[in-house]
Amino acid sequence: MTKEPAAVLATVTKTYGPVRAADGLDLTVRRGETVALLGRNGAGKSTAINLLLGLDTPDSGRVALFGGEPDRAVAAGRVGAMLQEGRPVPRVTVRELVGFVASTYPAPMPVADALSLAGLTALADRRVDRLSGGQAQRVRFAVALAGHPELIVLDEPTSALDVEARGEFWAAMRGYARRGNTVLFSTHYLEEADSFADRIVVVDAGRIVADGTAEELKRSAGGALVAVDLDGAPAAFLAGLPGVTEVEVRGDRARLRTDDSDATVRALAARDAIRGLEVAPLTLNDAFLALTRGRDDRRARDTGQGTTQDAARATAPNREPIR
Amino acid sequence: MSTALSTTTAYARLEIRRTLRDQGFVISTLGVPVMMYLLFTNLGGQNDPAYRTAAMVGMAAYGALGAALSLGGGVAEDKSNGWLRQLRITPMTPRRVVTGRALTGAVVVLPSIGAVLLAGGLVNGVRMPVLQWVAVALALWLGSLPFTLLGLGNGYRLTPQATGAVNVACNLGLAVVGGLWFPVELFPDWLASVASWTPTYRFAEAARALAEGRVPGTTAMVLLAGWAALFGTYAAVSYRRSARTI
Repeated sequence: MTKEPAAVLATVTKTYGPVRAADGLDLTVRRGETVALLGRNGAGKSTAINLLLGLDTPDSGRVALFGGEPDRAVAAGRVGAMLQEGRPVPRVTVRELVGFVASTYPAPMPVADALSLAGLTALADRRVDRLSGGQAQRVRFAVALAGHPELIVLDEPTSALDVEARGEFWAAMRGYARRGNTVLFSTHYLEEADSFADRIVVVDAGRIVADGTAEELKRSAGGALVAVDLDGAPAAFLAGLPGVTEVEVRGDRARLRTDDSDATVRALAARDAIRGLEVAPLTLNDAFLALTRGRDDRRARDTGQGTTQDAARATAPNREPIR
Repeated sequence: MSTALSTTTAYARLEIRRTLRDQGFVISTLGVPVMMYLLFTNLGGQNDPAYRTAAMVGMAAYGALGAALSLGGGVAEDKSNGWLRQLRITPMTPRRVVTGRALTGAVVVLPSIGAVLLAGGLVNGVRMPVLQWVAVALALWLGSLPFTLLGLGNGYRLTPQATGAVNVACNLGLAVVGGLWFPVELFPDWLASVASWTPTYRFAEAARALAEGRVPGTTAMVLLAGWAALFGTYAAVSYRRSARTI
């Protein structure tokens, strides 16, 4: 077997009407990797996945699975996928559905294994359209696994699962990845990307804004957080302090993002403004916001709006905040 | 090739099962034609054996028409629930998916045909040589192909709601104008001449000829083949158009 990457997107663009859903996507998923596509709703995760699977054709750029056309890899049974959209298939039992999909692959896993990995053994003879949302999502997982594909692509696989089912799901997924398979999943849950992926690819507005481990992401977003009590003092001077890249004031407390926490703290101390001082590394959440906010700011400026976070949010009212 | 074939038949088996589990399908394609047949032939003193035979063929054709068209409802449903999209990321090629669907259509018309013919033979005492029964059933089966294609075309082209409405319109329109419910002889002249061009009229005409021990006319065969070609093109164009968006 050659060393072709499992999946490649090379400067891929895709426009739906006025929306640039893919705006020069570059992504390589090596074999055996578990990669998370992290982004808010509407960031372009599903578009990237649909392009990779050959469900959509790009306006420009190159898409490859295992070094060839996506259709070829799909026809060869090397890919399994769990799509985001979709309601349960009516009038078919879990076993019939998973069994049929398995039968279309050249070297499927035993149906009983797929059912048990997805936690469906007890539900095998139930009709898919009579299951709960979480159970139906597990059926779609079993459908993705059934053919025993080398690459499994999961679009928001846990959105309908409760905490416990989510844990079971990721345990199953880890087991599958450990056998040398490649996993690409999209999510808007930071902790999922952090705990289960070897690599996190942050997608925003159809572009990849960061690509690396969680640690690398935190580092690339830059610096640390410094928080102090204002004690009634005006907050205006804070933005001018050394290292400070961003200021957020909530009530009487100021949170500063800084490139150089030492310099910032020294400057605060010089002004005797260190009441309730707290210095902390960026959380992944902060890193994510920093990485995606830059683009929002640019767009906000383009539309003549302010550059505060709230204004940036207001330019994208349909987005859900990252949890 | 053998795996391609077995995948296609496995897919058809799955879809046949799903179709037969649809109570609406069973009632409208088995229950309704049988009930209408028995009502039409036993109410109002219509005891003429020739009428019972002709009505039997007409109602069996009506049942097959409904079953064939309902295929489109299934396709539209699976387009909207994402099943067709999921199939696209299995190794099964789209062409085999369509073939499997057409095969499904070929099978799910059989119960309607069988049920009405049984009602004719067992309840209404229609008598024919065995070979003639077989010929009638076969003609009804093969003759339903254009309607299967029409159903597929509707399903691939339209939304589930629109497919439902268009199927009902096609079903009733083609059944009534084609003389499946009431003999064309009762129609005013202009309607009778419209009827003679419909696929349903020619469909039933061919099967009725066989039931009366005659060979179906060439006109009927040519017109049916023409309709099959037209609906086949419609299905192919609809499929190709939708394949890009499924």
